[in-house]
Amino acid sequence: MTATGMAHERGDLYVRDGKIAGVGSDLSVPSGTTVIDVSGTVITPGLIDTHSHIGVYPAPAFVAHQDANEAVSPTTPHVSSADGYWPQDPQLDRARAGGITTLQILPGSANLIGGSTFTMKTYLGARSAEDARFVAAPRGLKIACGENPKRTYGEKGGPQTRMGNMAGFRRAFEQARAYAQKWRKYREALAAFEHAPLSTEPTSEPKLPPDPPDHDLGLEALAGVLAGNVLVHNHCYRADEMIVMMEIAESFGFRIRSFHHAVEAYKIADRLAAHGASASVWADWWGFKAEAFDGIRENAALVHAASAKAIIHSDSAIGIQRLNQEAAKAMFAGRRAGLDISDDDALQWITANPAWALGVDAWVGTLEVGKQADLVVWNGTPFSVYAKAMQVYVEGDLVYDRTAPRNRPTNDFEAGFEVTP
Amino acid sequence: MRFVLVAIFTVLAWILSPQALAAPRPSGTPRSTILRGGPVDLGNGRTLERGLVELRGDRIIRVEPDSNSARLPEGATIVELNGHRITPGFIAAQTTLGLDEISMEPSTLDAERTTGDLIRAAHDVSSAIHAQSSLIAVQAIEGITSAIVSPRGGLVSGQSAWIDLLTGEHTTIVTARRIAMTATLGNVNGNSRAAILAKLVEVLDDTRFYASRRAAFDRRQARDLSAHRLDLEALEPVLRAAIPLVVEAHRVSDMLAILDIAKTYDLDLVLVGATQAWEIADVLADAKVTVILQPSENLPNSLDQLGARLDTAARLAAAGVEVGIAIFEDPHNLRNLRQEAGIAVAEGLDPKVALQAITLTLARAYGMQRDYGSIEVGKIANLVVWNGDPFEFSSSPQAVFIRGTSIPLESRQTELRDRYLKLERFRRPPPRPKAP
Repeated sequence: MTATGMAHERGDLYVRDGKIAGVGSDLSVPSGTTVIDVSGTVITPGLIDTHSHIGVYPAPAFVAHQDANEAVSPTTPHVSSADGYWPQDPQLDRARAGGITTLQILPGSANLIGGSTFTMKTYLGARSAEDARFVAAPRGLKIACGENPKRTYGEKGGPQTRMGNMAGFRRAFEQARAYAQKWRKYREALAAFEHAPLSTEPTSEPKLPPDPPDHDLGLEALAGVLAGNVLVHNHCYRADEMIVMMEIAESFGFRIRSFHHAVEAYKIADRLAAHGASASVWADWWGFKAEAFDGIRENAALVHAASAKAIIHSDSAIGIQRLNQEAAKAMFAGRRAGLDISDDDALQWITANPAWALGVDAWVGTLEVGKQADLVVWNGTPFSVYAKAMQVYVEGDLVYDRTAPRNRPTNDFEAGFEVTP
Repeated sequence: MRFVLVAIFTVLAWILSPQALAAPRPSGTPRSTILRGGPVDLGNGRTLERGLVELRGDRIIRVEPDSNSARLPEGATIVELNGHRITPGFIAAQTTLGLDEISMEPSTLDAERTTGDLIRAAHDVSSAIHAQSSLIAVQAIEGITSAIVSPRGGLVSGQSAWIDLLTGEHTTIVTARRIAMTATLGNVNGNSRAAILAKLVEVLDDTRFYASRRAAFDRRQARDLSAHRLDLEALEPVLRAAIPLVVEAHRVSDMLAILDIAKTYDLDLVLVGATQAWEIADVLADAKVTVILQPSENLPNSLDQLGARLDTAARLAAAGVEVGIAIFEDPHNLRNLRQEAGIAVAEGLDPKVALQAITLTLARAYGMQRDYGSIEVGKIANLVVWNGDPFEFSSSPQAVFIRGTSIPLESRQTELRDRYLKLERFRRPPPRPKAP
């Protein structure tokens, strides 16, 4: 299953130097190529999760491990989840075993602007966030509306209301615009200085270059959003709030790349499509908070039906282990509601579409020649409750093998704690 | 095939129609409903490949292999299954369904007696269960027909009630109260787990003491008690083993300690959570303790849960332990119970055992097997008609019978879905007025 709308009944996949070099039937490959017979299995692209806190909300959930929310101010665009990432989180091994090859690690949602996200791959042997980073991935920014910032800051100087939330976004982006303007003016002045003809008059004062404005890492991240090179990932549940967020974004000239959780996306799927936003949703989570009360099983399917990009995300170290099953629930719910959703469509919800949301669709998300060889070999259809990832490859390297005799966790934390079955 | 399906749906549609539900019953003998012509998983490990089940009133009155010569009483409603499968309705154990509408809105939460004391045995949740909760239909239409509603918090949390998932049935939703006592071991409220175990022993001792010296206590001629007299009274049926003590514990040391206590006091013990149970599977099998677990929980979220694995259910069953399957934390998605059962099967549990783990094993663990848990004559008619393997995502309930009545397959969620299937009917934003 290629996630391009096409499937090969008995397909061959040729991998060379970590990239897909051929997809189809009866491919001819150079002699000396290693041939792995996986007949009876199903191959899909590696699964991609747009929403994970692995490494920043690890297991065990020690007090000392809570590194996802810099909840000291409602706007902390200067921080980055990569700086809080713990590569020994046992949850990562479980995600890899579930077929995940790419995931975005986000700061939490306590803040209006929580900080930079980072996109990583499930390589083996990473000793830092940098080792795991998806090098080509653009920067992302996590922002959050609704209950969480209100609850976190209601008694701590605000925002206390949804009004305060939205005003906070507008103010932050106003500041970013002013900041970008200041730097633009400085660069213009500097260019003018550098290109000014040298004065020949000996008496004139020596001309000095203009003083640069102060650097501000946070405003730089926000200015990156305005310039369109930082992708916005917006935790937002309610339809009305998503509409306000799209209005704010459009008034500042940027787009929301993906609404996360988006429990009410189905109510405004047409508006999401018009804005160009994707919706990263759960298959069935609902009701744990007031803004999640209107969740329905058909959410992803209705977003898809309105021609917006549907994505199944996890936000959970349990859910991330079977994103395929979550997609299955959403797909069958859609079909039961009479919507036309193919297996390949549902596969795109956990491969091609999240790749687009993370800005990495040129490299991963489908089985196409030239893309990185991130693959999952399943024991059958991935949309079964009995589905298991038998093998997982990242850039052609085998990173998980279910049948390996010593299939033990690779993280350091569990070393020495293991009990022999 | 198409004609056959149409026939099924016509019959089901009739049963589901308001007229049918409202149809006056002839006085005297109520009419019966007969479901026939499909496999029937009885829930006790047996399957009738082509079965016939007759319901009358709220009970199952006949279960037998179907045949062309089957007796069909006059006036009975016949539902031709045409291969669709019947299972017992699934049971959700240790849930807060009916006590939790919106988990982060404290005003909608009724699971916990927040008095701060560790012993809250008298807390009986049955009077707090909200029959109008929107969560009930959401689970029922996906095959959950009963739930064991349990309190939360403290060391001894209180008493559980059995409900059938009939939305709005304020006076009858609870079919049995005080069916079990829930407790939690480990590092509760920051106490050493040793102190928690000691406290439990002290309270069990005092329960025995109080039961025999009640008159003296009322005359103020008894020593001080470690818990309120009502809490001790509530614990008395636990000491008689009339109801089970249902204990959440994850670490081996806690499980071994409570096994010891249960032996000393001759308690009927059920273990819940039990992350590390697979390490002592033989001990649990010898002690004949039912273990209720959630198969997908494979993360070491605390040191008590080191060694968490996906195949715990299969390992326990292989050792001879009775295994129940439940979803503990999320009453909104008890409907995923069948997914949990499927995960256990994928990891090696026998599918028949997995089905029992969400039906008869649970009914038995809570002492309700006389009325619930399997499709057998005399039991409450809670059953589900599936269009395939009940654990698979591609399958869904075609009909859900609770207490003999086919419930409408509707919920707040299906209503919201239908409202937004076509977005054209909603208002467009008006164009912004041009400046004058």
